[in-house]
This record gives sequence, C-alpha cells and structure tokens, in this order.
Amino acid sequence: MYQECIAMLLAGGRGSRLGALTRNIAKPAVSFCGKYRIIDFSLSNCANSNINTVGVLTQYKPFLLNMYIGLGAAWDLDNPHGGVHILPPFVGENEGNWYNGTANAVFQNLDFIDFYSPQYVLIISGDHIYKMNYLSMLDFHKEKGSDITISTIEVPWDEVSRFGTVSVNGEGRITKFTEKVPRPESNLASMGIYIFNWPVLRQALLADAHDLHSDNDFGKNVLPGQIELGKRVFAYKFKGYWRDVGTIESYYNANMELINGESGLDLFDPAQRIFSNEDILPPQYVGLSAQIEDSLVSNGCVVLGQVRHSILAPGAYVGEGAVVLDSILLPHARVHRQSLIKKAIVGEGAKIRSHCSVGLEAPSAAHPAGITVIGDHTVLEKGSVVPAGENFYAAR
Amino acid sequence: MSSVIGLLFGNDGSDILQGLTFQRSMAALPFAGRYRLLDFALSSMVNSGLRTIGLVTPPHNRAMLDHLGAGKDWFLDRKAGGLFILPGAMPELPDGGGTFRLKDLRLNVEYLQKDFAENVIISGCNHIFNMDYREALAFQEKQRADITLIVKKGPDVFQRGERDSLVLASDGGVIALRQEASQGEDASLGEEASPARPSEAYFIDMLIIRRRLLLEMIAEEGPEIPDLLTAIEAGLGRLRVFAFPFTGYFGTINSVEDYLARSMELLNPDVRKEVLTGQNRIHTKIVDNPPTKHGARAKVANSLISSGCTIEGEVYNSVLSRGVIVEPGAVVRNCVIMQKSSIAAGALLEYVILDKFVKVHAGKVLKGSRNAPFVALKGSLV
Repeated sequence: MYQECIAMLLAGGRGSRLGALTRNIAKPAVSFCGKYRIIDFSLSNCANSNINTVGVLTQYKPFLLNMYIGLGAAWDLDNPHGGVHILPPFVGENEGNWYNGTANAVFQNLDFIDFYSPQYVLIISGDHIYKMNYLSMLDFHKEKGSDITISTIEVPWDEVSRFGTVSVNGEGRITKFTEKVPRPESNLASMGIYIFNWPVLRQALLADAHDLHSDNDFGKNVLPGQIELGKRVFAYKFKGYWRDVGTIESYYNANMELINGESGLDLFDPAQRIFSNEDILPPQYVGLSAQIEDSLVSNGCVVLGQVRHSILAPGAYVGEGAVVLDSILLPHARVHRQSLIKKAIVGEGAKIRSHCSVGLEAPSAAHPAGITVIGDHTVLEKGSVVPAGENFYAAR
Repeated sequence: MSSVIGLLFGNDGSDILQGLTFQRSMAALPFAGRYRLLDFALSSMVNSGLRTIGLVTPPHNRAMLDHLGAGKDWFLDRKAGGLFILPGAMPELPDGGGTFRLKDLRLNVEYLQKDFAENVIISGCNHIFNMDYREALAFQEKQRADITLIVKKGPDVFQRGERDSLVLASDGGVIALRQEASQGEDASLGEEASPARPSEAYFIDMLIIRRRLLLEMIAEEGPEIPDLLTAIEAGLGRLRVFAFPFTGYFGTINSVEDYLARSMELLNPDVRKEVLTGQNRIHTKIVDNPPTKHGARAKVANSLISSGCTIEGEVYNSVLSRGVIVEPGAVVRNCVIMQKSSIAAGALLEYVILDKFVKVHAGKVLKGSRNAPFVALKGSLV
C-alpha cells in the first residue's frame, strides 16, 4: 500500500524529568492545557498535513497511551489506506528486544516501514507542543534535493545547551550537528523532527545497528554520522511556537503561556485545529460565589471557589472557599473546600481534602523552582501542608 | 439486549417556540450548552444497551443530520445495527397530526420488518430526561405485556388537564388513555375487571411495544387510525397494556418561557446530577473546542459554560453554548446564549435567548422577562 510519506512517532521514552507526572503514564499521554494530552499536537499536525499513516513507538507504561490513541479516530486518522499503528517492542525468531534508543526503536520496525514502502519517512516525537504543516517541510526537502532534513528553530543563547544544535552554511546545508553541549557554535536548535529519504534511513539504521559503540540515538549517533559521511542534510527553519515540555518547569511554563494568549499558539484557530480524544462531559458549572479570573476552564468542571491564573482540565473540582492560584489541575483533580493551592500541578484524579495548603510554604533547597507536583490519584488528607517545590505522590 | 430496537420520532413539528424552531425541528433545538434535545432520548436508548435505533426525521432535517452524522458519537456507526435515518412523511396538518404517526412508519416499515427484535422502544425526542429502559423492559416481560406505556405521576408535566391522565386497573393495567373515555366502558366491563381508579399517571411519549404488534398496527393505518396512540386506544380491550412509572427528572418544553425555565433548572445541582453527570452520560456531537477562557476582569456566577467560550464580561444565572464571546463590560443575566453568538462591550442582556450566530452590538440593552423572554433569531444582528 504505497504512501509518499509516513510518520514514525517516538512515544516510548520514560520522561523521568517530569517526576510524579509520569509515574503511571507515558509522557505523551500527560494532560496538557486543560483538555489536551501532549501527543494531540503531533497527531493533529499529522492529520492537518495529510499524513495519514503514523506508527507510534511505545514502550514505557503504554496502556493509558494506547487506550487514548485507539484507532486514531479522534484525529481523523482512522482511514483505509493507513491509520495509526501502535508499535510496541516485540520478539521474533532471532530478533527483537526492548527499544534501546530512538534509532533502535525505528530500526526494530523496518518491516513496518517496508510494508508501506514510502519515499519519505518523517520522524517526530510525542512530547512537543507546536502546530506545524509537515508538508511545507517536505516541499523544502524535495526542493533542496536533501537526503535528510532537520527542522530547526532559533532559541535564546542562554537556553541553547538544552538542545541539539546545527551549524549551517550559506545554502542551509548542515555542516555540524552537536547534541546538548554547554557552548555550541550556533543557536539553531534541532526540534527532533526529521525527514529522511527512506533508502537513506534504512541504510543509516542498518549501519547504526552494527556499530557496537553506538547509543542508537538519532541526535547523538545517526545524524552526526550521516553528516560526516557527506550526505545532503539540510536545516528547515521553522518559525512559530514550539516547546519541548520534557521537564516540570518547561511543562508548567508552556501551560501558563497559553493562558495569556501571548504564546502565538492559537488554539481557537479553526483552520488548524488541535484534535483530542475527549470524554463527553457537560458544560462547566460556575457557582454562586465562585471567582474565576484569567484562566482556562474545561468541560465538566465545577468551580465553587476562587481560581486565578490557572488551568482546569476536564472534570476538575474546586470547592467552596478553596483558592487555586497559578496552578494546573489535571483531569478530575479535586480541591476541596478551604484548601489553598499555589503554583502547583495537581495530578489526574488527585484529591486534596479540605483545609490543605499546597505550595505556600517556602521553597525547599531541593526544588528551588518552587513548582509543587501532586501525583496522579494521590490523596492529601484534611489539613495537610505540602511545601513549595515538593514532588508528592502516593506510594504504590 | 439485542431483542430490543429503538424508534425515535424526531419530526414532531411545532411552532410553539417562536423562531427557535424555524427550519429546525424541536428535536434539533440546542439545549444545555453543548447538547440538542434529541441527545437525551437517543443517549437514554444507547445507555440502555440498544444498538439499533431508527430516527424519523422531519422535512427540514439538515440541522439534525449535521448533528448526527453516521451516529459515531453515540457508538451507532456499526456493521450490525446502528443508526437508521427514516425520512418522515410530509405533514398534512400544520401541527403534524397526532403523536407517533403511523404514516411515517409505513413509509419506513422495512426497518421494522427486517429486524428480529422482540420489542421496540418508541420515544419522542423533545423532552429532557435520562432514563435507563432496562427496568421497564423487564417489567414488560414480567407482565407479559403487549405494550408498556411509560408514565410520570402527576402533576402533569405537559400541563394537560386531569382528564388526560390514564385510567388504571389495580394491577397496573391500562383501562383507558383518558378519564372521560372510560366513563361508558366501566359498566360494560362489569365485575370481571378490577375497578378502575383515577390515576395521576400521565403518558410521557415513551412506550415499549412488541414488534409484531407494531407491524400489525402499521398495516391498519388509515384516516380512522392515523397514529399509534389511536391504534392502542382501539385495542385496549384485547391487548395487555400496562403503565410503568418513570421517577426521574422529566423536563418538557411547551413554550419559550419553558425553554428558559428548563435551562435555568440545570443550574440546580440535583437536576444536573440526575440528567447530566450521573452514571449514564448524555452523548452529543463532539466538536474539539479549546477550554473556555475566563479573562482578567471576567465575572461568572451560577452559570453553565460550554467549551470554546471567551468571557471578558459578566455572566450570571445563564447557560452558554460553545464558542460564545462576551466582551469586557457586557453583562448577561438569566439568559440562554447559543453557539457562537457574541455580545459586544457594554451590552446588557436580561432574560434573553440568543439563537446561534447572533451578534449583539456594543452598548445594546435587551430585556425580556421570566414569562416573556426576548428571543433573537439565528444569525441576526441586534
């Protein structure tokens, strides 16, 4: 079944830097900006770019993620010529193992790509927040006669060490790819979005698999190696909003940016919608003495107390006299009466009983950033006090 | 549950709602923010385990079909069974004729012929309720009834007179559909039948009937027997007809003020719990809207707000559909605002129903009253 371009979505990483948020759920399935989950952005981009065959590589705690994706119908990706395929690790007669690095995950699914035998393979990941038309990037790829195209974005110099960066020559061809070093020569960061000519990818992955010293990672091994080999690798310059939400801080900040509407990511734009697999919940109810300011509130929420500069995901509850400030309540989180929550992320189904205080006490040395996280399904008993910056979750 | 299929009458035409039902059947009327009236009847059937449901549509069915699609959001896009669209007959009378017209069914009789189900649940879709039919079905089987009429104990939600309540025998059997009709028959029944007693049970547009019996009744359709209730009335002597009481919330809309009043009732947490947030959810077409934005100076109290709204002004005791915009300084009190209407800065609305896509200009003052709400038609500029 021929497809010009298929997508491989890397969704198997553990996301350990998200702490309590990914204890029970894979990072791409973590709730984002109220009604969304992080993977919605990549899947919606595929749907909006007419890329309708997507292989989703899963490994870490995949159940909730798999259930959420289903057949991809929520993103209009359930179609007869392709669709969404969940690709977990597997064993065969002589091959198969846990996915060990991003390149290894794709390598173990060469058969899958062969089945569709595309001309191009788009590699994306499930933990970025952005809207992008991949077809524009593919046009660029064809125009340049590239073997590999890497989507890049300019980032501030003080953050550049968090990213893999590329150095380019005058025509946009990449001369050097460096992965997360303290002082790179360029502030053009790789967004973790690559288009490969399929034969080039196939050969590169086979070579990488035979290299015993390789970490089997695209950024660390495959891309620098291909540039060294003299392959035509170009940088596509993306302009617009893009955030890696791999850490608690970046996750929190990306959420908050969307409240102000200053992020440049227009969720209300009907032309490029972000789809999600939402539960049917009734409209939100705002109570008689409720106060909501400067906030995003989803379906099924009940707000009886105060909410300021916060995001409430579907089914969240704020009781009478409770105050929620600068915080994110994930789906079905409950903050009962007279509890105070400040600069906190309250996990899915977590219960904060009455008269609790979360995130108001002085930050501890361990978490100077001061974002408090209450893990999914954690229950805080009446009157509990959780200091700022604490990462609190129920032991299982 | 494969032994029962559903049949919904979505073509109950009425002009009691002023312009709100212009080119839109009552069943397709938006309600409770994100829903349309037919969602309640349809979801009740789906949640009771029905997987084959036929819907009789009115001549103006664009809004309804747009909403339903292939029935996916109600889990009705399936290989075996699913949602069947049954185009109704053109109405000869302005009010469409009686309840459950047999002519509509005769046009679509194949839907009933080719199924194997034992029972058919028939329901109107102009009312607000969330019912699990499984108990009523068990009752139908336990009584070995031919027909089970679902009733609500008075006072009558349709504001009919006392004479329109059913006449019941002591075993729950239905003797007559109206008090007055039973007068003459009482004597003829003699002492064999249990004595009729006045009931406060009112039929609420829902019934369970054996499929074969329904087919027989359709075959008898004619000027004398135009609708199903007339056919049932004619057969009361020989059929086992029982009444089953529904005890949950049942909201009816007979006028624009009712529409506003039923909307306001949803602000009561008990009503909301029973209808919207209980175990069985009301399903509806999914539109992926972002969460609603409450601005820095927004004030909202005692209101139901759907997703995708932008609120910068003040909203009190109101129900807002998806994508409504309330600009800074605008005040909305005791209103129902339908999808994608916008209220510009400084406007003041009290007891107003805005249909979809209405634009209220800056500084306008619109005031209705509880008994006579101000209604703005779809797409109008005020």
